[in-house]
Amino acid sequence: MFLTRSEYDRGVNTFSPEGRLFQVEYAIEAIKLGSTTVGIRTPEGVVLGVEKRVQSPLLEASSIEKIMEIDTHLGCAMSGLTADARTMVDHARVTSQNHAFTFDERIKVESVTQAVCDLALRFGESVHDEDAMMSRPFGVALLIGGVDELGPQLYHTDPSGTFVRYDAKAIGSGSEAAQSELQDKWHSQMTLREAQVLVLRVLKQVMEEKLDQHNVQLAQVTTDKGFHILDERALKEVIDTM
Amino acid sequence: MDHFPTNWGRPKYDSFDTHATYPIHNRGHAQSAASNGAVQHTHFSHSKSALRQPIVTGTSVLAIKYKDGIMMAADNLASYGSLARFKGVQRLHPVGDYTVVGASGDMSDFQYLQHILDGLVISEEANLQDGHTLGPAEIHEYLSQVMYQRRTKMDPLWNSLLVGGVKDGKRFLAFVDLLGVTYSASTLATGYGAYIAQPLLRKAVEGREDTLTEHEARTILEDALRVLFYRDARSINQYQIATITANGADISGSLKLETAWGFAEGIRGYGAQTQ
Amino acid sequence: MPDMSAIANPQQRQFNPYAENGGTILAVAGADFTVIAGDTRQSEGYSIQTRYASKVFRLTDRAVLAVNGFAADGNMFVKKVKQRLEWYRHNHAKDMPLRSIARLIQTMLYAQRFFPYYVYNILGGIEEDGTGAVYSFDPVGSYEREACRAAGAAQSLLQPFLDNQIYFKNQTAARGYSHPAHLPLPDVLSIVIDSFTSATERHIEVGDGLEMYIVMAKGQTLPDAVTNLLPEELPSTGDGERVFVLKRDLKKD
Repeated sequence: MFLTRSEYDRGVNTFSPEGRLFQVEYAIEAIKLGSTTVGIRTPEGVVLGVEKRVQSPLLEASSIEKIMEIDTHLGCAMSGLTADARTMVDHARVTSQNHAFTFDERIKVESVTQAVCDLALRFGESVHDEDAMMSRPFGVALLIGGVDELGPQLYHTDPSGTFVRYDAKAIGSGSEAAQSELQDKWHSQMTLREAQVLVLRVLKQVMEEKLDQHNVQLAQVTTDKGFHILDERALKEVIDTM
Repeated sequence: MDHFPTNWGRPKYDSFDTHATYPIHNRGHAQSAASNGAVQHTHFSHSKSALRQPIVTGTSVLAIKYKDGIMMAADNLASYGSLARFKGVQRLHPVGDYTVVGASGDMSDFQYLQHILDGLVISEEANLQDGHTLGPAEIHEYLSQVMYQRRTKMDPLWNSLLVGGVKDGKRFLAFVDLLGVTYSASTLATGYGAYIAQPLLRKAVEGREDTLTEHEARTILEDALRVLFYRDARSINQYQIATITANGADISGSLKLETAWGFAEGIRGYGAQTQ
Repeated sequence: MPDMSAIANPQQRQFNPYAENGGTILAVAGADFTVIAGDTRQSEGYSIQTRYASKVFRLTDRAVLAVNGFAADGNMFVKKVKQRLEWYRHNHAKDMPLRSIARLIQTMLYAQRFFPYYVYNILGGIEEDGTGAVYSFDPVGSYEREACRAAGAAQSLLQPFLDNQIYFKNQTAARGYSHPAHLPLPDVLSIVIDSFTSATERHIEVGDGLEMYIVMAKGQTLPDAVTNLLPEELPSTGDGERVFVLKRDLKKD
């Protein structure tokens, strides 16, 4: 790849003659290095699952945080440069709180996703008084799950600021195998429990280590209980039913 | 010779000044300037916008709807306090092809508005040439935004304005003042005219907007102007009338009001009386 | 010796950025409808500026806003609310719900806390649960949901009347009976019309014309008694809530 480097690699906002933004494409590549992350939408709610790469037995697995709460009705899972996701989730949280303050209602899943994607494009050289927030594209993709008046929804965002709604989506290093597995197994009348099990099965397939309650994390957003991360005991319960 | 007009003092002493034409030499430093008699040359540099006031003022503007469009009238006087300072001032200003703006209140603020409106017409119509032209409704909306923004900055343009015109076969007549307050009616009058002329205009016009001829409309306005000239000390018997019809705006030259003062002889305390 | 200083040194009159333009507004919520009304006189002091200036504005298919106080602020405020509603529609692909409009109005009013819009707002319409609702505001944004509210020049004449006729305050129900929680639309309209004719009699700033907006909940039709009054139906975007306008003359003296 380095052999093909050209001057269009330098400016983050410079189109190549073929009409490509290389830095954005590289950022999307960065996600493929990340750990596998899976999201499934069911009529009862959205299930999010991530693989934690516990690289050392001395590493405290519970300190790896790849699923975050945005609001009581919104959660997100990430893959890629997870540090970048902090900025995005922070923006999503502020947007959601602002919306609740100004409009006395819960923000829609699509609206908060749009807000995150607006931020994703605020990179590059700053123009005189305008301040760019990042010098490069974010190196992270998000699965944003939530429940609003339109029911449970799952959105995928990438560093290009594009967002698409999915019934089930996998991102990260094992995403190709995981996605085809989801395509096989997902059906529209899944229960939440079925979705939890499917998420774990898909993760198990693509993980190098043996899956247990320490190296995966599961969260869900449901209509009545909102966002919540399964603790290790609840997680083990699901794993045992696999 | 003191070339600084704000130090010349006010034209005439009045303890009550209903037109709010305050002594301009006191502006900003009413107490100190009057008590020590010192001439303060720093008034303009120190003056805060909030202390502005009308200086050279025009009195009422009248306007009515009639069969063919809008007719508007204003006299030619610009007063400096109670001094009839400028007797040939035009207070009706054409804007574009369809609109006339009539102004009472501060004449320098009005000149500034004329400048703004002329610039607007040039930039919107001469420069763009996109087929859109500004009609009276657009001019009025623009003016009311300017007036409201200036009042919100506590730096008002000290005027009451009437905007009248015809566009696309529709008559338009509306008011806007230094506060940004707007309204529309088939007869409108600013200043003293709101008290003295408006009842006469309403009686003559309401319900007859679609039948009044140009001649009848002109007579109604002239009669109202005459009453104002009899009763409003800041008015004069020279005036202009603007007619705005589908054919465009026409502003007359300066006309003279025919008045009769013979009745005054019989009023006790007015004419020469022996007892 | 009389104190001549006031004459010798005329005090600078500070520019007053506000005026009071009279008029009165009123809203009543029913079980599945809301009536929002206002007179059309605009005045300053003893002068009638115009006999027809609207104080009631439709915002969405299910929300109507009445504004009263300083007319310039009122018109600007309505303009800005409408602008925010359109932005919201573009950003969130739906009309703003009534309670969200109420909260938005609070934030917009409070944003001007130290140079307030001198405007009393009454917002009426249909909530997402299909009930009629009225929200009333003070000029700096305090608000609450109520069943009825009068504001403006004749507030002090009308509110006690509404308390009595809508909330049945100081009325004792006949033995074995209780007061209804909500009145039917024809009864509400009669009360609204009577309110304004009475306020016109007793308050110089009220009169000329009356505009009544009726918002009907989804699936509700006007009772015959109201259809006979020939209200004008305003165009709406869907088959949900419907908005009607009823106009009446009031005395012009």
